[in-house]
Amino acid sequence: MELLHNLAVGFGVALTPANLFFALAGALIGTLIGVLPGIGPIATIAMLLPLTFHLEPTSGLIMLAGIFYGAQYGGSTTAILVNLPGETSSVVTCIDGHQMARQGRAGAALAVAALASFFAGCVSTTLIATFAPPLAKVGQSFGAPEYFSLMLLGLIAAVVLAHGSVIKAIAMIVLGLLLGLVGTDGNTGGTRFTLGITELTDGIDIATLAIGIFGIGEIITNLTRPQETRALAAKKITRLWPTHDDFRRASPAVLRGTALGSILGVLPGGGATLSAFAAYALEKRWSRNPAQFGHGAVEGVAGPESANNAGAQTSFIPMLTLGIPGNAVMALMIGALTIHGIQPGPQIMSERPLMFWGMIASMWIGNLMLVVINLPLIGIWVQLLKVPYRFLYLAILLFCGIGVYTVSNSAAAVLLAAFFGVLGYVFTRLECEPAPMILGFVLGPLMEENLRRAMRISGGDPAIFVERPISLGLLIASLALCLLVALPAIRSKREEAFQE
Amino acid sequence: MNSPHRFWRMLARKDVLAGLLFIGVAVFGLWLSRDYPIGTALRMGTGYVPRLLCWLLFGLGVVVLVQGLREAQDSRALSSADVSAWRPLVFVTASLVIFGLSIERLGLVISILLLIGVGAVAARGLRPFETLAAALVLILLSWGIFILGLGLTIPVWPEW
Repeated sequence: MELLHNLAVGFGVALTPANLFFALAGALIGTLIGVLPGIGPIATIAMLLPLTFHLEPTSGLIMLAGIFYGAQYGGSTTAILVNLPGETSSVVTCIDGHQMARQGRAGAALAVAALASFFAGCVSTTLIATFAPPLAKVGQSFGAPEYFSLMLLGLIAAVVLAHGSVIKAIAMIVLGLLLGLVGTDGNTGGTRFTLGITELTDGIDIATLAIGIFGIGEIITNLTRPQETRALAAKKITRLWPTHDDFRRASPAVLRGTALGSILGVLPGGGATLSAFAAYALEKRWSRNPAQFGHGAVEGVAGPESANNAGAQTSFIPMLTLGIPGNAVMALMIGALTIHGIQPGPQIMSERPLMFWGMIASMWIGNLMLVVINLPLIGIWVQLLKVPYRFLYLAILLFCGIGVYTVSNSAAAVLLAAFFGVLGYVFTRLECEPAPMILGFVLGPLMEENLRRAMRISGGDPAIFVERPISLGLLIASLALCLLVALPAIRSKREEAFQE
Repeated sequence: MNSPHRFWRMLARKDVLAGLLFIGVAVFGLWLSRDYPIGTALRMGTGYVPRLLCWLLFGLGVVVLVQGLREAQDSRALSSADVSAWRPLVFVTASLVIFGLSIERLGLVISILLLIGVGAVAARGLRPFETLAAALVLILLSWGIFILGLGLTIPVWPEW
């Protein structure tokens, strides 16, 4: 009953006109950037981070969250109609969704994608509301050694679940950890890696880093590619409602996708993209006639689309309850909290229940809004697809510039973002995934702080990490994950999962 | 086979370059932190964790480098498309740098014009008329959002 009471409180917050407006704004922006290839939720949230500074923290978080899951809805539209993933999490939706569109069933594919996302959104919101309070309680009993081990586990899991080379991903994390240490050391007061630049004594702002790497870097990467042709598969979307047979085949796929996405979302390094890939592989294996996949199988749309939305939403659980980001978007959310002077961690729920429950309630409202935004209004988004990238990137470039400038009110930050933009482009070219770097960047100072505290508790004896049972358990789990990746059999499975 | 050519081909492999990048950053970090007090495990100094991480990065960089060198063929080498990317790379970066340098002195309107003007060179096929139209729309849009809507204190016009 406590849950119902909490949810009632949350809806009280989420249903105020201002918060409804920001939920809608987030959903609209999310759909917009989801539909448009070439800009993703990480860059958008980073650009809008400075704006949330001027909002109530609750409203700001509601809007940023809306952008993240709104992008999951919007991404499928482009995937189905144009065969281009609007987001990385809708890459697999292209495979069968676009085939359905070419068979004249674009409307059905869009409806299945939106309804699957909505169902998954409802379930995962309930999961957050149910499991967040007990997890936060566990989190409150954690001391410095447990926190350090937990963050280590998080970083290692992020590597295991990321695609591409494991060694490179670890190196990117270490690079992020190092970048996080730039600035003044809170413990000793000494400055580190500032190169004598005054603006760096306060450290690098996460918005500057993320806008540079993901915003500017992506612009450069996109411009070096030859312009893709955006041919719409369906000129006019006529029949929006799926057939009876579609429903029969899609429903179990939605259930499986939601379950899988909810689990993978909670894991560090998980979230929307991984969930979608895994769900597609699962559907293909589960199906009695896998030959249909790739030729417009409705399960291939329903499974991944429910999984990516479920994964996007459950990835809020570790962020909200433990203050530990599982993916780059959550790292930015933590940045948004700290902009408002809110210390992320298990105490958020007890100290700011209105914000916490308001945000959860708004997720459900946002999902409802998104179904309306994406189904009846689909025509508007299709029109937007006709805007060529050569106009789009100018707008993105400008908003990146203004965003960086306003977050720190310094021209130096804009120059720094330009530098990170070049770096981001280089990383993409060298196949170094930049997302783990953002995780390392956020966790770097936190890990150092907890390491220092743990060492002070133990009197400089590193054995403290294995003497505490919870910490030991977390370290064993980290080690097990490392071994798993090293095993050749698992390694090939992992590559297979990302290839499908 | 002439060996200098092969050397460059080997160097152009993605993993080789990535490894060198990591090693370079690690060495740079170690050099920067050469005077940071390390302290003890009990009382960690400013340099303890940074130097630890730099050595870790150095080690990882070496592994990536060796992996890259041991790859059989040049399948994952940089392609010629990567090299011809200088145009967006230079102009996108330059436009942002100019924007950063001009916003405080020349104000929002002129710095947007500069950003769009320089940034537009990055893409092929953008006509002068289109660029101008885009600049006007974006000036109005950002003025509406950031100055009117959010009341940010960015100078709009040059300060004399």
